[in-house]
Amino acid sequence: MTIKIAVIQFPGSNCDLDTLHVLNNVISNGIEAELIWHNHFKEAQFDGVVLPGGFSFGDYLRSGIIAAHSPALDEARIMLKGGKPIIGICNGFQILAEAQFLPGALLRNDSLKFICKWVNIRVENNKTAFTSKMNIGDVLAIPIAHGEGRYYTDNLKELEENNQIVFRYSTENGELTEQANPNGSLESIAGVCNLEQNCLGLMPHPERASEPILSPKQTMHGRLFFESMVEFIKGRVS
Amino acid sequence: MDHQEYIVEVVLENKPQARDPVGTTIQKDLLAKKGYNMVSNVRSGQYLRINISAANENEAKKMVNKMCNDLRIFNPVTQNLTILKVIQKN
Amino acid sequence: MPKVLSNGDELDVDLTEPEIKQIKDLLERAPTITEWGMFDVMHSEHCSYKSSRPKLKLFEDAEKNYDYVLAGPGQDAGVIDIGDGFALAFRIESHNHPSAIEPYHGAATGIGGIIRDILCMGVRPIALLDPLRFGPLKGNPHSQWLFKYVVKGIADYGNCTGIPTIGGEVEFDKSFESNCLVNVACIGLGTIEDFEHAPSKAYNPGDYVILMGGSTGRDGIHGVTFASRTLTEMSEADRPAVQIGDPFTKKMIIEATLEAVKTGYVRGLKDLGGGGLSCALSELTGDGGTGGDIDMSKIFTREPGMNSFEVMLSESQERMAFIVKPEGLETILDVFRKFEMAHAVIGRTDDSKVLKVKDGDYLVVNLPATALSDAPTIPREEKRPEYLDELIAQQTPEPIKGLEEIIYDLIASENICSKEWVYRQYDHEVGVRSVVKCGEGDSGVLRIIGTNKFLAASVGINSKHCYLNPYEGAKGGLVEICGNVIANGAKPMAMVNCCNFGNPEIPESFWYFSNAVKGMADFCKQLRIPIIGGNVSFYNEDEVSKTAIKPAPVIMIVGIIEGKEKIITLPFKKTGDDILLIGETKAELGGSEYHSVIYDLEGGTSPHLDEKKIKATWDFLFELYKKNLVKANHDVNKGGLMITIAEMCFKNNLGAELDFNGCYNDNLRDDEFLFSESVGRFIIETPPKDYNKIMEIAKHLNVNVKKVGNLIANPEIYIKGLKGKNIKLDVNKMKKLHEATIPSLMEI
Repeated sequence: MTIKIAVIQFPGSNCDLDTLHVLNNVISNGIEAELIWHNHFKEAQFDGVVLPGGFSFGDYLRSGIIAAHSPALDEARIMLKGGKPIIGICNGFQILAEAQFLPGALLRNDSLKFICKWVNIRVENNKTAFTSKMNIGDVLAIPIAHGEGRYYTDNLKELEENNQIVFRYSTENGELTEQANPNGSLESIAGVCNLEQNCLGLMPHPERASEPILSPKQTMHGRLFFESMVEFIKGRVS
Repeated sequence: MDHQEYIVEVVLENKPQARDPVGTTIQKDLLAKKGYNMVSNVRSGQYLRINISAANENEAKKMVNKMCNDLRIFNPVTQNLTILKVIQKN
Repeated sequence: MPKVLSNGDELDVDLTEPEIKQIKDLLERAPTITEWGMFDVMHSEHCSYKSSRPKLKLFEDAEKNYDYVLAGPGQDAGVIDIGDGFALAFRIESHNHPSAIEPYHGAATGIGGIIRDILCMGVRPIALLDPLRFGPLKGNPHSQWLFKYVVKGIADYGNCTGIPTIGGEVEFDKSFESNCLVNVACIGLGTIEDFEHAPSKAYNPGDYVILMGGSTGRDGIHGVTFASRTLTEMSEADRPAVQIGDPFTKKMIIEATLEAVKTGYVRGLKDLGGGGLSCALSELTGDGGTGGDIDMSKIFTREPGMNSFEVMLSESQERMAFIVKPEGLETILDVFRKFEMAHAVIGRTDDSKVLKVKDGDYLVVNLPATALSDAPTIPREEKRPEYLDELIAQQTPEPIKGLEEIIYDLIASENICSKEWVYRQYDHEVGVRSVVKCGEGDSGVLRIIGTNKFLAASVGINSKHCYLNPYEGAKGGLVEICGNVIANGAKPMAMVNCCNFGNPEIPESFWYFSNAVKGMADFCKQLRIPIIGGNVSFYNEDEVSKTAIKPAPVIMIVGIIEGKEKIITLPFKKTGDDILLIGETKAELGGSEYHSVIYDLEGGTSPHLDEKKIKATWDFLFELYKKNLVKANHDVNKGGLMITIAEMCFKNNLGAELDFNGCYNDNLRDDEFLFSESVGRFIIETPPKDYNKIMEIAKHLNVNVKKVGNLIANPEIYIKGLKGKNIKLDVNKMKKLHEATIPSLMEI
């Protein structure tokens, strides 16, 4: 079967081509990914969707808020209800949070500065559409690049009870320390999912961590996200 | 002389002749597209609320003006500073 | 400044009386006020290079002399053919004056400008590099303010447009205190076909002229003439020249332009920069041998009531001019509509060789299309500064403290310390091309997806060396920047430069410029490196204090690495491996960090070089690369060889046992050997088993190679074989000092 994935281009998305490259040239394996301009997106044609990183609408006003009002999100809402997988990476996560697909908000980094660096994240939930190929407690090497990635929610307890925390920033050994938390996120949270676990948002960039040549330690942990998605889609169909 | 606590509200915004891409994008890509056509222009800025101890309202205003200028809290080349309000704190 | 009059309007122009007469004679009438404004801008130093052009002729014609050069100097960017159907475009330019006044928007719009230059070659901008210069940070809030906001301006603009900032350089020196230097460089990648689709000329009569992007406002009128004057106390009042950057619109312009070029219906493309529409249109038609008929009322303006002078000379950011084939008009307009980019068909080209702009019934511009590009040149006097002899004669004092302490001081100094505080704020990975990232090598290395090729790019110059000897200093800069890409395994392919100097009307300042240009030209000719573009920024001089900046002919080199296995990185890798020093160390401490940090001295004998030896060193390294014998490489520059070795130890937390016995001449002092900044040297890591093989190659090529020690697991550096006593350095302590300096000055 061919798995059709839409990579949505909002005005100002800039990791769209990177994500497309990884899906089509690195993962491939039955995937046919396509760039779709946000106004043209029709959910019925696709098995899954990626909201890529970037600065949609320049991040003016607040990261993700203007894109959250795009017709693409109305389509995505139908997908969400239908149980199809949706992942928001970096700016995509900010859009999903602003559109209330996911709980919480992304605030300015503690340092008030943009941060571009490789970090480690620990897997907290491997039941989502994007983490089935990981084990709980696994530590993934993956880069971040954002100015507004400090996760905040006033509903932490519910998030914990519902197992919606998917990743936390950690040391290489999986410890949660203040130093390993690059942006001051609440409880070191790096990624969360919805109740149904088919929608994931995270600040780090799996598409930048999918090829050994780009990774400081020649890892390719980013592939696990997309491979899990493929498995999830295949499971839904069969 | 007795000092009082005042709250000075300050707005920093780009000068009228300078562009404001943030305001323009809010108006064009959000408001106009969602049907708020009656909005013709949006300008963005930064709002500061400064608690300050001063002898009187005028001095509070003056000091805020001075600190904003001296420390380049705004850049006079591109921005204007407006003191919106000075409130005496009880 | 002379005044010109036209129809009751009055204008101050920066033109000389002979220029004014020449213009009137050429037209056989009095120009309109708009035309005066156009001549004023196009004859400014910034647009016309009237002082520098006679000297820049020394650069050989790259397009003629190198078969892989597709576009050379005079174009918006230089372009080279790198094989496999791909072309690289790159350019560097200055945005010094605007950044000194408004660092955030000044730097941001500088990035915006350089992106446009690359984009109008029809290729996608894929990397930015930023060489920056400020006054010392310590105890200087103004320098800190400039530094903080310049970096933030670059970060916010570059990050938002999705172009990684993969390298740069920061130099701190008192001479940059009131004139900071913000140079910006951009690299573009496309197919040869993309490049061919977008010449910067309108060569076909009957094509449509389309203006696309931001609206035309009153901002930036006279921005160019502003860059051609020194900064004075009046600067705060020069407000209309400061621009507000809009990276979001720029990102949309990039995507819309590239999609338009891909249709094949674009016949010419030009960005609107200095001089605005007047400059772009006259260059398009003048260079294309056509004329144009433009309707000013079609140009979309930001404010009502703008007159023709303001519209034609506005330097509002984020605008592009397209020359479009008639049959493709609708297709192109559809592309702009998709991206919701404002656009207007403002006229058509014709065969009149005259550029006409109509404002209603009134012809506001009616000029021969080439009239504006024929700006005169001005011969400038040059004179070697008298203070130089005394400066060069300065001797190195007897060390006032121990060598260990000096090394710790140097590694923490502002010019040598880690610049991580800067590059963490830049997204240096977007684009999934960054293979050698900031801090991991002497240059930034990007893969070229779809090939087995990699590009390496580096920028910089040592202004302290140039101050003592601009001819040797410029050559030394080339050796260092070429050395940076070579250290990563790349062959230098081409060079562009950005010459930052003082007031050319002052003979001493012009002498520096003239000699630096000669140094670059001579070196590049001998080492066969094409110079494919340049930019000149004069008037970096504080009129109040009468001080010019130290000369900064900033150099950018792009090189190519053929294959993944040929990439070399900086960090030492394996305990037991040999450490070799390549090249000759001389007593060249003039303008060194050692002199400046320890003794507060600016003088002394600066590095001199021999092109034949440089060439032999490079050949030697490439020979080793071919045989896969090099595991790490780092060029020796600021602070000398101990700094180089220490930096190579940091990443993998290794140490070294060094024995300098027999490594340097008897008449050299220990401090001269350790801290000399002689150019053309490298430290490499090699497997011990290959030692004999390597020495044989060295002997064959007549290159000075010395084994100086071995790597050890313990993170300490032991040094023996000096004339004085043995010393020991703690790698972790050095690393901490190296990393702490900038954060401790900036994070308060």
